[in-house]
Amino acid sequence: MPGKGYSHIISAVIFVILEIAAVFMLGGTRSLQNIWLNRATHRVLGAIWSGGENIRSYFGLREQNRALAEENARMTEVLRHLEGQKQALRGAIADTVTGHWRYTPATIVKMSRNSQHNYIILDKGSSDGILPRSGIITPGGVVGVVNAVDEHFCYGITIQNTLVSVSARIGHDGTVAPLEWTGRRGRGAALKNLPAHLETSPGDTVWTSGFSGIFPPDIPLGITGRSRLVDGSVGETEVELFLDFGALRYVSIVENLDNPAIRRLEKGGEQ
Amino acid sequence: MRGRYWLIYLLLLVTQILLGNFLNLGQLITICLLPVLILSLPISYSSPVVMGIAFVTALAADFLTHGILGLSAVGLLPVAAGRRFLISAVFGSEVYARGEDITVKKQGVAKMALAVLIATAVYFLIFVWVDAAGTRSFGFVMLRWFLSTTTSVVAELLVMGLLNGREDGRWK
Repeated sequence: MPGKGYSHIISAVIFVILEIAAVFMLGGTRSLQNIWLNRATHRVLGAIWSGGENIRSYFGLREQNRALAEENARMTEVLRHLEGQKQALRGAIADTVTGHWRYTPATIVKMSRNSQHNYIILDKGSSDGILPRSGIITPGGVVGVVNAVDEHFCYGITIQNTLVSVSARIGHDGTVAPLEWTGRRGRGAALKNLPAHLETSPGDTVWTSGFSGIFPPDIPLGITGRSRLVDGSVGETEVELFLDFGALRYVSIVENLDNPAIRRLEKGGEQ
Repeated sequence: MRGRYWLIYLLLLVTQILLGNFLNLGQLITICLLPVLILSLPISYSSPVVMGIAFVTALAADFLTHGILGLSAVGLLPVAAGRRFLISAVFGSEVYARGEDITVKKQGVAKMALAVLIATAVYFLIFVWVDAAGTRSFGFVMLRWFLSTTTSVVAELLVMGLLNGREDGRWK
């Protein structure tokens, strides 16, 4: 019976219209009901909007997935590019060549500080291009000299070793003399074999001279202290080293690229 | 006979207005005769017509009683919309087939009381809920609904005889 169903629809429509009209009149007449109806309306609308948003998000997942995949691919490409740059940079750092010196960063594997003949072991070896008689330095001063090289490690003797002598200069253009560790205190060193007539004033900075061919010139070593005559013929000046060996963790191994040519010249001169 | 019926209808509407204005039984009890007025409308009236009459009647009662337009209409419109279903369910669908108006004498007090009870309960369920507007506790709303429904059903059954007076002229 289509007519009967039609009348039911008309009845339903009329009911809805009249009910809405009654609700509107109610809301307009009394503020209490108005507030209540507004709150209920907002709650219903919020639920509808939230549901609509959820549905829209669900159907938008395909597009979001595609965008994320594109973003992922782009980020992977950038990452690979940066990784390549990083590797290149690492190689550049490992082989930093400044003038005639090559610097190789290294980490201290082991170091002794309690004997007269202290040593140091670093994590760089012949595979990294390290050669014996290379210097070990930090920005704060000289650490020691590489004595032996393994494939992946190298062994050195530190400046806190009575067998090590570093060519040093008082000031940038002062007297050059060998600097040796006294063996009595961690930072206690002395400039030896100074001319007896030379007077040094306490507080002068002592630098590497660069004459040894092991260390670059002008690396700060320490500050001069008191001076005295030894055996009445040569002078000796106390030096307080800058370097705190207890705080060391990373160092640089420095190699003089001119060493082979210098040695050849030395051998030729001796002959 | 319809003229007398509408006269009684208007008198009962006036009675409802007077009850609403002058009979104060506290916050928990409200007496309303409107559901029985809608239920007793001639059976030949279609649902849209019944809803229209219910809407106008409720607005008149609202306007002349407490001034809150729409409060009674919100509750009475579902009664009017479900009137056909309610009558068919309680009295049987043959009532509509025969086109006879429902009266206490023909349908019996029990069925009439049941129909009035359901219509009044539906009316007050909406009326009390909307009137509270979220400011009353659920217990208060339910207690008011129960007390108002029972009190009103008793009052409606008492006045129902007046509206059913037309049966004498039609079913001789």
